Amino acid sequence: MILDLHTHSIKSDDGRAKVENYCKWIRKKELPLDGFVLTEHRQFDATSDYRHLEDEYGLVILKASEVETDYGHVLVFGVNDDLVNSFDFAKVDNPLPMVLEAADRCGAFAAPCHPGRKNVGLFAHYENKGAVDGVHTVEVLNGGSIPGEDELSVEQAGQRGYAGFGGSDSHIVSRIGYCATDFDADIADIDDLVGALRTGNFRAVTYREQES
Amino acid sequence: MSEENPLDLEAIRSEWLGVEFDERTFEPEASRMIAWAEACGETDPRFLDENHPDFQAPPNMTTIFNSGRFLPEGFPNIGSGFGIDGGKTVECLAPIRAGDVLTGTATIADVFDKTGRSGTMVFIVQRMTFSNQSGEPVSVVDWKTIRGI
Amino acid sequence: MRFEDVELGDELPVEHPDTSLPKIEQWCEAADQHFARFVDHEAAKAEGLPGALVPGIMSQGFLLAMIHRWAPGCTVHKIDTVFRGPLVIETELTITGAVTDTDDETRMAEIDLTIATEEGRTGVIGTALVSFAG
Repeated sequence: MILDLHTHSIKSDDGRAKVENYCKWIRKKELPLDGFVLTEHRQFDATSDYRHLEDEYGLVILKASEVETDYGHVLVFGVNDDLVNSFDFAKVDNPLPMVLEAADRCGAFAAPCHPGRKNVGLFAHYENKGAVDGVHTVEVLNGGSIPGEDELSVEQAGQRGYAGFGGSDSHIVSRIGYCATDFDADIADIDDLVGALRTGNFRAVTYREQES
Repeated sequence: MSEENPLDLEAIRSEWLGVEFDERTFEPEASRMIAWAEACGETDPRFLDENHPDFQAPPNMTTIFNSGRFLPEGFPNIGSGFGIDGGKTVECLAPIRAGDVLTGTATIADVFDKTGRSGTMVFIVQRMTFSNQSGEPVSVVDWKTIRGI
Repeated sequence: MRFEDVELGDELPVEHPDTSLPKIEQWCEAADQHFARFVDHEAAKAEGLPGALVPGIMSQGFLLAMIHRWAPGCTVHKIDTVFRGPLVIETELTITGAVTDTDDETRMAEIDLTIATEEGRTGVIGTALVSFAG
């Protein structure tokens, strides 16, 4: 089962994609996606209900968050009330160890995204401040990466024994599915996704046209 | 905000969002409209030929008709640096013709922070609303300026 | 081009706008935007930038010109661009567009827009809302 684990809609300040337009695009372009996860910046969108779109387009649409830490951005899957009350999602400098610990404690799954990004990614912060215990999984393929960034992510994740997933980081409709994650398990809801991420039985995949 | 950055953006938002702080008039000239369009690679004669029956300004030309005052008087000095252009939204409500006299009013539409490739940044969104000499709304522009923290 | 000719998924012809110094200077003059960071690489670098920058508003103009060429006579009702990173003048930029929605009632199309740098970094993303002449 293939899910794009990192997408933004108009709920994010820099997102310009309507969720239904993502669905239409996936079907029109016959993208090999079974669904996608909305990871809005610095918030958890608890109110939007996309079940009618799931039914209409036959896609799994899940909700998560992209929060910001002192070691770069982190995707948090399985957000619940306990986690929302654990730290301020709107802050731009949450301590990474705190976010990882809170996610674990609340039954969620936290993983740094675009860790190979120059200056602001996880591995750039490792260079300056040392590694953080508790990181086990990172986004190794990101649709917004420039050449060299994903390569660094794959290399560093491999050296450190981190599992790697993929996401498009799409902010406009036509970028969805640039990168995604191929799971061994079937995933129908956010609990399934958190469970599948914990097993480590998944692979990052890319469908982005290779730039020379 | 962090201890190193004691900005209270929520307080700034509640005090300043929507406050009208400037009003100016602008008169787009045909020669500037054409030069702008040419420089951008425009090939549509509506933007290049002064004698075209539908000759008009490039749709985003109002983005330069900004208030001379970027921020309201008394607005807190937040962020640092000269400010980077973070994006523009232009709503085109009616064509703007050479010789129109546009009245633009400025408000602060939003203030927020986030981190990105360049570190932690504060975003200030200034909105300019334009009407022509007949009072017809012609354009609304949101300017997003990024400053470092 | 008529509304009926437009389909979700259609892609606009890819373009490479002219970012030469004379064009940038022409735009700066027309826009009355006289800043060294747009026309002088060394001055821009002194400000910590990678080189002289294509003005953000001008890059929006590139996108509008692309839309007008794709659909002659069309009207752009809204253009919304997010500047995500610097675009350096005198480099080859690649601009793209794709139709992501069509509305039979308003007879408008929504278009995704991007500008990418030579190294493949997306410097601008955006959307536009367009109606057609026919």
